[in-house]
Amino acid sequence: MGQRGRPAKRRRLSRLPPLLLAFSPFARSILFARSAAPNSTAPDPSPSSKTTEVGFADPKPPKAIKRIESSEDEEDQEVEMVQADFEFFDPKPGDFHGVKLLLQNYLDNKPWDLGGFVDLILEQITVGTVVKSGAQDEEEEGDDDGRDDDEGLYAVISALNLGRYADHRCIKELKQFLLDVCSDDSARKKLKLLLEKEASEVGLLVSQRFVNCPYQLVPPLYDALFDEVSWATEDEPTQELRDSFRFKYYILVTRIFEKKTVNQCKAKQSQNCDEPVIYIKSEDQIFYELKNYKEMGLVMVVKADDVPKVREKLKSLVAES
Amino acid sequence: MATRIQFENSCEAGVFSKLTNAYCLVAIGGSENFYSAFEAELSDVIPVVKTSIAGTRIIGRLCAGNKNGLLLPHTTTDQELQHLRNSLPDQVVVQRIDERLSALGNCVACNDHVALTHPDLDKETEELIADVLGVEVFRQTIAGNILVGSYCALSNRGGLVHPHTSIEDLDELSTLLQVPLVAGTVNRGSEVIAAGMTVNDWTAFCGSDTTATELSVIESVFKLREEAQPSSIVDEMRKSLIDSYV
Repeated sequence: MGQRGRPAKRRRLSRLPPLLLAFSPFARSILFARSAAPNSTAPDPSPSSKTTEVGFADPKPPKAIKRIESSEDEEDQEVEMVQADFEFFDPKPGDFHGVKLLLQNYLDNKPWDLGGFVDLILEQITVGTVVKSGAQDEEEEGDDDGRDDDEGLYAVISALNLGRYADHRCIKELKQFLLDVCSDDSARKKLKLLLEKEASEVGLLVSQRFVNCPYQLVPPLYDALFDEVSWATEDEPTQELRDSFRFKYYILVTRIFEKKTVNQCKAKQSQNCDEPVIYIKSEDQIFYELKNYKEMGLVMVVKADDVPKVREKLKSLVAES
Repeated sequence: MATRIQFENSCEAGVFSKLTNAYCLVAIGGSENFYSAFEAELSDVIPVVKTSIAGTRIIGRLCAGNKNGLLLPHTTTDQELQHLRNSLPDQVVVQRIDERLSALGNCVACNDHVALTHPDLDKETEELIADVLGVEVFRQTIAGNILVGSYCALSNRGGLVHPHTSIEDLDELSTLLQVPLVAGTVNRGSEVIAAGMTVNDWTAFCGSDTTATELSVIESVFKLREEAQPSSIVDEMRKSLIDSYV
């Protein structure tokens, strides 16, 4: 029962359509300017008229437009389409350094047992995925094979049952940190309940990727995770393990940008807060003027029943962007 | 004795500190745990000085020194230079040098008698190193890498080099340096030895990811254990490696 004949190392080639991947700082700034263009050109339909009125009009919009236009000229000549292949693998011990690098800021600079936490993720082969560059097969240098794996790690996702790992030092430190950092008392009580009494039904959803990772990777990544969780509830060798993957809740710890003038932006912010975490990570497309925003941590609890909705929304988000 | 430490969740102990037989430099800004680990081992013997170099915390990789002197890159500010001159013992000559390759810690690996340098270092810099540090200077590579300061950790009693160093290279370097050398790793397989650990004649500090095997190799090659017999590493490790005899 439950033998699906899954190969041990599942590889899913995510062939991306050719799109402008910003791998250099120059290309990134062009992308930024290009995506900023619709907003800044909208209020100023006739740039030529404004420039003739010296000292009257706000000099900023025409300048902005001019800059973008010139950069678009350059863009036509200099843009490069880069084809990239990304492969999804089960976590293995050799990925230690790559995953550790991705999770460096997981608990804001607090010194904790990050090595132990990474070990937990890597030991859980059945649920969890790492994303590596697909160009490895060509670079077959005998000694460097192991090292190439480490350096090529682009993203990691996993779900850890808080009850199953409750005795590990890293999980204890993580729980303590989350409770300490919670500013709202009622939220803290609920969080304490989740982390302690109901820990066996709570999964810590760890998802981290490099900043400029192409967004097309994200829906398959989350699909992979939730599929693995449901397969694990059937495939795991012991009943205890099978039950440990029947999550009722997922906890996500992530970063958001929150406007400094909290009241004004609360309405706008709550839209983003209600959506699952990946929307938050893609805030770069949404927020331009970072000086009005401060970086904050966000802890969210998501009911496991909502997972199918999450997957649909993920797909639609990519489809429309 | 070798101690495991971490600087703000980073295991690169050799990046944020510089340990010699006469003084120890530590980067500012880390948690007090980092600083106190050094104080606990060293405070009654040598001064532990908190500093920055060129406004950065990567002091271990920017400066090169031994008990005779300390060489600083040209990017060091005047205040930092003055602070170091004031805090270090008088017999330590603190000198700021004009060298294009400003990460001196990556370019120079030295103990109190001998130094290995990057092959492209200026002639004047080489002479300054010989003068200020009181060492004999050799231009060398380690396992084909020119950044000798990064891939080698050296003390007066032993040295640890990049894991891919060949036997011939090990022999050659060992003859030059006149100390026993071992090719190994630190911080769970990291090859950048000098970034992962810092060592002097009686103590070493390694990153917190260093495995027990790596730690015992370090203690053995740098002779940090009380009974520094070559066979003791084999005997002691045998007990932990062999579960039962069939």
